Amino acid sequence: MRQPSARRRRAGCLFCLPGMAFLALFLAYPLLYNVWTSVHDVDLGQLLGGAERFTGLDNYRTVADDPAFWHSVRLSLVFTLSSLLLQFTIGFALALLFARPFPFNGLLRSLLLTAWLLPPVVSGTLFRWMLDAESGAYNALLEPVGLSHDWLTDPSTSLAGVVFANVWIGVPFNMLLLLVGLHTIDPQLHEAAAIDGASAWQRFRHITLPLMRPVSVTVLLLGLLYTFKVFDLVFVMTGGGPVDATRVLSLYVYEVFFTSFRFGEGAAAALLLLVVPLLAGVLYVRRLRREDEAPTGGAV
Amino acid sequence: MSYSVDRRGFLRVSGAAAATAALGLASCSSDTSGPVTLSWWDYFTLDNFQPGMNRLIKDIEAGVPDVRIERRTFPFAELERQITLGAISGDLPDLAIVDNVSMNTLGGSRLLADLTARVDAWGQADAYYKGPWSGCQVGGKTLGIPNNSNCLALYCNTRMLEAAGVEPPTTWDELAATAQKLTSGDRYGLALSAIRTEEGVFQFLPFLWQAGGDLDSFSTYGATALAFLDELIAKGSLSEQCVGWTQQDVNTRFLNQRAAMQINGPWQIPTLKKADFDWNVVPLPRDKEAATCLGGENWVVMAGSKHVDKAWEVLEYTQRPSVLVPYLVSFGELPARKDLADRGSWASDPALRLFLSQLPLARPRQYGAHYAEASQAVAEAQQAVLTGSASPSAAARTAAKKIDKALGEQ
Repeated sequence: MRQPSARRRRAGCLFCLPGMAFLALFLAYPLLYNVWTSVHDVDLGQLLGGAERFTGLDNYRTVADDPAFWHSVRLSLVFTLSSLLLQFTIGFALALLFARPFPFNGLLRSLLLTAWLLPPVVSGTLFRWMLDAESGAYNALLEPVGLSHDWLTDPSTSLAGVVFANVWIGVPFNMLLLLVGLHTIDPQLHEAAAIDGASAWQRFRHITLPLMRPVSVTVLLLGLLYTFKVFDLVFVMTGGGPVDATRVLSLYVYEVFFTSFRFGEGAAAALLLLVVPLLAGVLYVRRLRREDEAPTGGAV
Repeated sequence: MSYSVDRRGFLRVSGAAAATAALGLASCSSDTSGPVTLSWWDYFTLDNFQPGMNRLIKDIEAGVPDVRIERRTFPFAELERQITLGAISGDLPDLAIVDNVSMNTLGGSRLLADLTARVDAWGQADAYYKGPWSGCQVGGKTLGIPNNSNCLALYCNTRMLEAAGVEPPTTWDELAATAQKLTSGDRYGLALSAIRTEEGVFQFLPFLWQAGGDLDSFSTYGATALAFLDELIAKGSLSEQCVGWTQQDVNTRFLNQRAAMQINGPWQIPTLKKADFDWNVVPLPRDKEAATCLGGENWVVMAGSKHVDKAWEVLEYTQRPSVLVPYLVSFGELPARKDLADRGSWASDPALRLFLSQLPLARPRQYGAHYAEASQAVAEAQQAVLTGSASPSAAARTAAKKIDKALGEQ
């Protein structure tokens, strides 16, 4: 490849400027402002007067000393991991199903997608109604088999109720991406393996799964980013309750900010909320780079 | 001081001296010359509030010389947050109508203009009920004027009570007994909101006060109040689901006749008037003392406003009976002023009258800048007990620690 001339490179930079300006204004500035806030003592009274005091890491210490913070971290992890696991397995199973031709395949697939297209506030509200202990649809179904339950108002099951809704939202998205991935696998590989006497399970285990790795990693990463920062769905369904059974990290941050008006501590907690997705993102980018650098030999 | 600088006069003057003078004038001449536009925020977004609000604003613009109102509305939960964000960005209104409980957070923040001197000169403080008025006092200063008031009372389904042969309860013991008698099938004796927000706390605090306690004695009296509610759930007279119910949900239960009694406010009356059964309202049952919680809104002026004088003039104007009564009637709200007790629809409507009669008992949630955290602790204690995850005394002790910490910080 020819090296671009200096002039062309300068022109290239020029084209980047609007994007850079956008990022600086809407990403870097708020982020830096948040970092600044997190090392100052800021409450409502000080906002106007500009009397914020530099407090170093005090806010981080206060947050780390708060059992409610760690409780919400645990909830976020449980919520994220269980959502990802269920979304992914169900999504994969459905992708395998929809990869085969059958009548109404396309129609069903697009119907399933509407679940993902709905705003979380809408689906959250719907699930709150459907899981309602007295008038909810699920209990009407479960009543005859004696399994009806106060899903969202019992602290021991409310998180499960929210995970259930989140999985329902996430499955179609997982399915769609995995389905695209399945289509990229050369059918000849399966045919050859079948001729060699490989069973369906062996073909899935040794051909489909390894070839689906890159797609799966992407799907899981996107799921992680979306699920770890979930706010609207939980807020609408339970508001963090009952007691604190569904107060995931984002709701904790929200409450510190907008209920207690402790902006410094809220900013510190918000930065900690950023850690997990950031780590995941870094790992992913490094992995991608390694894959790019790896010599690409044959198909497998 | 009087300045008479019009635009031409301003243009005639030239040089640096003029610029300095103009800068000086810009800040203090605004109240004396030309119409002033006051920005105004509130959270009355529902359709049924608009005619009353539009009329009020027209009234103000016609009655207060040289004033124009530019109104913006936010959803209920958004207003306080917008004011907070506005404090950061410098985008704040001149006037706002805020929930009376917001005085806790906003009051200690230097965001609100101190109206004390103006109110003293005005001399009408005595015309207000004690609760609503003291709800506008923070740290010895007057930071607002009550806009309207409400409180909680007990709604009863008349026919159900008659069928069960019971009278509306007046004490806790009677409430428990009546609620139990009225419970049958999928019908609960009592419905109330115990949701994990200020709404649930609003409904819980009367029980705490009736038990003879307050937030500073929560470990003792909080336990009493929590145990009473816990007992109602244990006996099946109150649904455990109430930990997820808003007051609107509670009213729906009552309307569907799936609750024989409910604790709710006067804002439900218009909806209940359309019900096809008879109901009445009685004061909240008492224990050691009678108590109910004060709700409603206050008018406040922002400290950063360039037109505090004009804004105060507007507030003063709205307190004239000829302006205030039609406004409150159209909102279906109660006046915070004693001298209006015999005017408006609340003078004749028995349900509104009952609520009005409870206003002198209604206590504001006046606990200072860190009330929100104390309130959150109360809400969580209530939820823990009602969902059976903690005993009343344990939950009350845990909450008391958080409350003492929050309230001790001021």
